Amino acid sequence: MATSVLELTDVRKSFTMPGGEQVTILDIDSFCLAADEHCALEGRSGSGKSTLLNVISGIMRPDAGRVIIDGIDIARLDEARRDRVRADKLGLVFQQFNLLPGFTALENVLVAMSFGSGRPDRHRAVRLLDAVGLGHRLAHKPAELSVGQQQRVAVARALANRPRAVLADEPTASIDPAHQQQVIDLLRNTCTEQGVALLVVTHAADVAGQFPRRVRLEDFNRAATVHHP
Amino acid sequence: MTLLGIAWRNIRQRLLTSLLTALSLALGVALVVATLVTGGIVKQAFESGSGLGYNMIVGAKGSPLQLVLNSVYLISKPIENISWDFYQQFLPAAERPDGADGTFAASTKTAVPICMGDYFRGFRVIGTNTTYFDRLTLGDSRPFAFAAGRNFRDDEFFGGVLGATVAANLGLKPGDPFAPTHGADDGKVHDPFMVTGILARTDTPVDRGVFVNMEGFYLQEGHAKPVEGEESGERRAEIGKDADRAPDDGNQKHEPLPFAQREVTAILVETAAIPGLPGMPPLPAELTAMGLRTTINEGRDGQAAEPIREIRLLLDLFVRPLELLLLLVTTLVVIVSAIGILVSMVGSSLERSRDVAIMRALGARRSHVLVVVLIEAVLLAVGGGMAGWVLGHVLVGAIAPLITTNAGVSASVLSAAPGAELLLVPFLVVLAILAALLPALAAYRTDVSKWLQS
Repeated sequence: MATSVLELTDVRKSFTMPGGEQVTILDIDSFCLAADEHCALEGRSGSGKSTLLNVISGIMRPDAGRVIIDGIDIARLDEARRDRVRADKLGLVFQQFNLLPGFTALENVLVAMSFGSGRPDRHRAVRLLDAVGLGHRLAHKPAELSVGQQQRVAVARALANRPRAVLADEPTASIDPAHQQQVIDLLRNTCTEQGVALLVVTHAADVAGQFPRRVRLEDFNRAATVHHP
Repeated sequence: MTLLGIAWRNIRQRLLTSLLTALSLALGVALVVATLVTGGIVKQAFESGSGLGYNMIVGAKGSPLQLVLNSVYLISKPIENISWDFYQQFLPAAERPDGADGTFAASTKTAVPICMGDYFRGFRVIGTNTTYFDRLTLGDSRPFAFAAGRNFRDDEFFGGVLGATVAANLGLKPGDPFAPTHGADDGKVHDPFMVTGILARTDTPVDRGVFVNMEGFYLQEGHAKPVEGEESGERRAEIGKDADRAPDDGNQKHEPLPFAQREVTAILVETAAIPGLPGMPPLPAELTAMGLRTTINEGRDGQAAEPIREIRLLLDLFVRPLELLLLLVTTLVVIVSAIGILVSMVGSSLERSRDVAIMRALGARRSHVLVVVLIEAVLLAVGGGMAGWVLGHVLVGAIAPLITTNAGVSASVLSAAPGAELLLVPFLVVLAILAALLPALAAYRTDVSKWLQS
């Protein structure tokens, strides 16, 4: 098996509710993702999927434990360094695509590059968009693209900084069934071509069923079991 | 894509709002620039006027400032006239009919009489003699120069010299006739004079003057002082038979007005340095002026005013405070415009928060999004500021003819107040940064996970 690109060890994350009650959302002993692995992470609503993605991507810091991305424990880093690791090592694909509406397809990819360690590479951005079939839509803004095309821009953007892993949060939830398969194929094929690990969070069993590795968050997040029986 | 590129793209994304914000700023800046430049021009007008080649004005008792404004700047109304005899006291023996030095002759280097009260198409008419242009100089000792023609001669009773602005505005040239009006533009039309010369531009109030031979001026209806046993204008009746004649060509002879019927409005005096005692240096002209001023002001015949002193007082008491007030008001306009930046940015904060959250999720640091917002504000400020700067100068260019006519100084779209204008853009940038701090901090604090989930 290839080396892990993502390792979670003894990760805990709690929130204080408005009434002062402390609620634990994540309580994970261990979770790994290999460098070339494609994994579907299933979970019910409220099982802590979004919190887990926020902790993995460094947007949130865990209360305890280690979150190792490509050998770097981001749980020990300050926010600015976590931002840098996120820009360099991870690509994010969101349920709502979250493209910047005022920017063209090409600029959406270039913006992501501008936050990484390398210099924005226009040729690479064009190649990525070409690879997802949008070579002829570079100058189009999101509003001028179809839903499927927007998702393709989001995938190209996630790969902008040569990440080690792509994290996709419910990438098919906003798409009609006819296009869901296209998005999954696009993600898996592109990540395979680029040699990037893929972690797709989904609550759709048919989507999860297409991945070689399929895990349920409730199976390794003790907090999900306790608070969301 | 750089942070500057991202900020520029954000501005273009909200193009209408951005344009309106920049426009509001541009209008404010245009007002400030126009105020600064015209204020500078007005100040220059006063300072240039106070530097003419005389250091004292003698006129009727009253406000010294009014005397200076009227005599030097050709604005305001004359106070009253002073007697011909009083004027004669400033002349040396050679220039007096009695062959004796006047009381103040020793302290006087040059004394130029002026008579005022007539107008020619909006410009003041000044009756004087040849000494005005032959002996007086501009502030830096340059003699008056003629762009065309020459000074009138003593015997050309109906000869006149026009300032550069008058000639340019009215399209007159040497040889052309012109007929002043009495007391106001719509007053009784006097006999015509003939242009003998056009002065080169001096950038002083002289440019707005219509200078005529005072001998001809005295012969106009209503200009002779009534004397015992005669009615005003009686002398005029004597020459009434010439009323329909052509402008004086230098060959026609007229009887000058008797001295007894003469008055002058003011005397422009250049004081002389008085030789000291043997072995002692001469008394400088400035000290002579002080002594002469005291003597005259203690007498009953008139008052003496020093133009520079009066203008400094005017600048200190009125012009500078007014300039400061205008500057304060226009600065407030700019500050309000800068608040427009704040309002515009706060107004788009909802849309911005989502964009900021996306950029943060892509790896942007908090400092990145803060800087992007500040750059947006600076771009709006610089864009609006530069547009306003150009607009302000266009505004000054548009009112330049009015300034030139009324202030006697040349103004154009290129007129500038360099010091203050150079500070304007840095001031705007600082203001814009201050105005954008609030939305920038809001961007800095954006809760990424909350916005991404929503």
